[in-house]
Amino acid sequence: MAEVILSGIQKRFGAVQVIHGLDLHIHDGEFVALVGPSGCGKSTLLRMIAGLEAVTLGNIRIGARDVTDLDPKDRDIAMVFQNYALYPHMTVAANMGFSLEHRGRPRSEIAERVRWAADILGLAQLLERYPRQLSGGQRQRVAMGRAIVRDPQVFLFDEPLSNLDAKLRIVMRGEIKTLHQRLKTTTVYVTHDQVEAMTMADRIVVLNAGRVEQVGSPLELFDRPANQFVAGFIGSPAMNFIPGRCMPEGFAAGGVLLPLSPAATAMHAGREALCGIRPEHFDICIAGDGVAAQVLLVEPLGSETQLSLRLGDTQVIALFHERLAMAPGDVLHLRPKAGGVHLFDAATGARMDAGSGA
Amino acid sequence: MNSEIPARTKVALYGLLCVLLIPFVFPTWWMVTSSLKPISDIFVFPPQFLPTHPDWSTYKQVFTIQPFAQQYWNSAWIAAVVTAATLAVSSMAGYAFARIRFPGADALFIVVLIGLLIPSEVTIVPLFRMFLKLGWVNTHWPLVLIPVFGAPSVFATFIMRQFFIALPQELEEAARVDGLGRFKIFRTIALPLARPALASVAIFTFLHSWNLYLEPIVFLSTPSKFTLPQALTQYTDAYGGPMWNIQLAAATLTALPVLIVFVLAQKQFVEGLAHTGLKG
Repeated sequence: MAEVILSGIQKRFGAVQVIHGLDLHIHDGEFVALVGPSGCGKSTLLRMIAGLEAVTLGNIRIGARDVTDLDPKDRDIAMVFQNYALYPHMTVAANMGFSLEHRGRPRSEIAERVRWAADILGLAQLLERYPRQLSGGQRQRVAMGRAIVRDPQVFLFDEPLSNLDAKLRIVMRGEIKTLHQRLKTTTVYVTHDQVEAMTMADRIVVLNAGRVEQVGSPLELFDRPANQFVAGFIGSPAMNFIPGRCMPEGFAAGGVLLPLSPAATAMHAGREALCGIRPEHFDICIAGDGVAAQVLLVEPLGSETQLSLRLGDTQVIALFHERLAMAPGDVLHLRPKAGGVHLFDAATGARMDAGSGA
Repeated sequence: MNSEIPARTKVALYGLLCVLLIPFVFPTWWMVTSSLKPISDIFVFPPQFLPTHPDWSTYKQVFTIQPFAQQYWNSAWIAAVVTAATLAVSSMAGYAFARIRFPGADALFIVVLIGLLIPSEVTIVPLFRMFLKLGWVNTHWPLVLIPVFGAPSVFATFIMRQFFIALPQELEEAARVDGLGRFKIFRTIALPLARPALASVAIFTFLHSWNLYLEPIVFLSTPSKFTLPQALTQYTDAYGGPMWNIQLAAATLTALPVLIVFVLAQKQFVEGLAHTGLKG
């Protein structure tokens, strides 16, 4: 186990700069998820930690060692790839023991480590099979087995669940988290799925266009997003953004007035802003106590009801943990929950802090 | 989609295939049956499809007129060495062109490919002069070196490159993380996975070397050093006329092992070409 410290990391592919001076400190034994949209540089960053991609500028430390210019084999890391990358011509046991064999470890030790990993991952019955004889979930487990037999200082996961179906993904998510809790190995996990990041990580790093937008625990990111990008990226369905202006009497947006906290109105009155409200942070209230909204679409999800609504001249999504007998065209009155309103600067998208809660 | 074919269509289809088969099967049939006939029966009209009195002595004469066993051995070891060397050269070159990025790699590959466009007849004279200087004329060296570093090897390199390009990059990256260097990745990961491509390269390289004709007649002059295609032309009578039945017996013996190998390995051969994105 070891901490991973990235200092001033830059990456260029020819004239294109994909990582712009990134600093990150991953603590010993921590599970950190790198999330962001396609092309944000998260996989490139992971590959630089692995040593599969050269660093243009900056340095990487794993534990006490500067590994910036070391080969992957000398970094004491193990990586699980998106497409598993199992050697097709080797059995499960050979795949798992390959790196130890290459490092000249005794046969008895290899067999013991492989058996230990196979027991943890439920692969004991599959050791003599070839990858082609395994299901997607089993292959993923073998890929993880190959990583853990070596007992590396750091695990690197590159979107390991994206080839699995939704159901299996949830199962494997749990397995990876359980594995981390058991081994306590420092883990860097790349995903574009914010639900995966939220459910698995101790801390999440949100990347956008090669820059860190915010680093924090899943709930910090959810409750206090640093900017509009993070607010929109974390949470599903995504946060609603309503453009308007902070007024002494509330937030004026397209002909409606949303309530704001006295502190927010006092601090930001007169400023153009975006009002962010998560779909699940709306309450239905009586007329006169909230803002009228017209139902455009009703999507019953069983345990929840999702409504698309017109609020002033903005379309928003609201999620209620109850069954609602609504139809398109109906009008209902909404009020944001206490603490459910986030204000972002209209020009920069940055969070307008201090007293922004309603 | 329903793949059921009506019986009548099936019969018609098989009938058509049998007719199309004739031009391919007839020469082999003619070669084998004529090798068992006296010369006078070979060109009679109407033709005899089967020899009336099969004469197996022609096969014995094949070995008495010339050192045919020695020539057989010459062809066999040259083809084996050429095949092994071509596999080594083309797999390494193909891997390098597919996986190692170096300045001018694509341009260099095109230069190599251009080698395929130059007919062997064009280069045979300068090659002869070169081997003459080296004192290697009337030795087997030219028959080994020309295919290994010439057009057949270029084609093999192309096939291997296409195969290695299609090999997932992540396999190599996993191997790098597992601690392997470039050559070990090639040897322990890429090469074992390239078996279908290697099999097809091996088969066509062996066939090419086995059938090589121009180079042996240019470079070899001693019958004991001849290879089979060249030896086949030597079965003539005192007047220079061909001894058809003996010649065809020798031809049958020449074709037989290749035919057997091809029949046994044809599945892998076709698969190998399919893997490389080429049609068999």
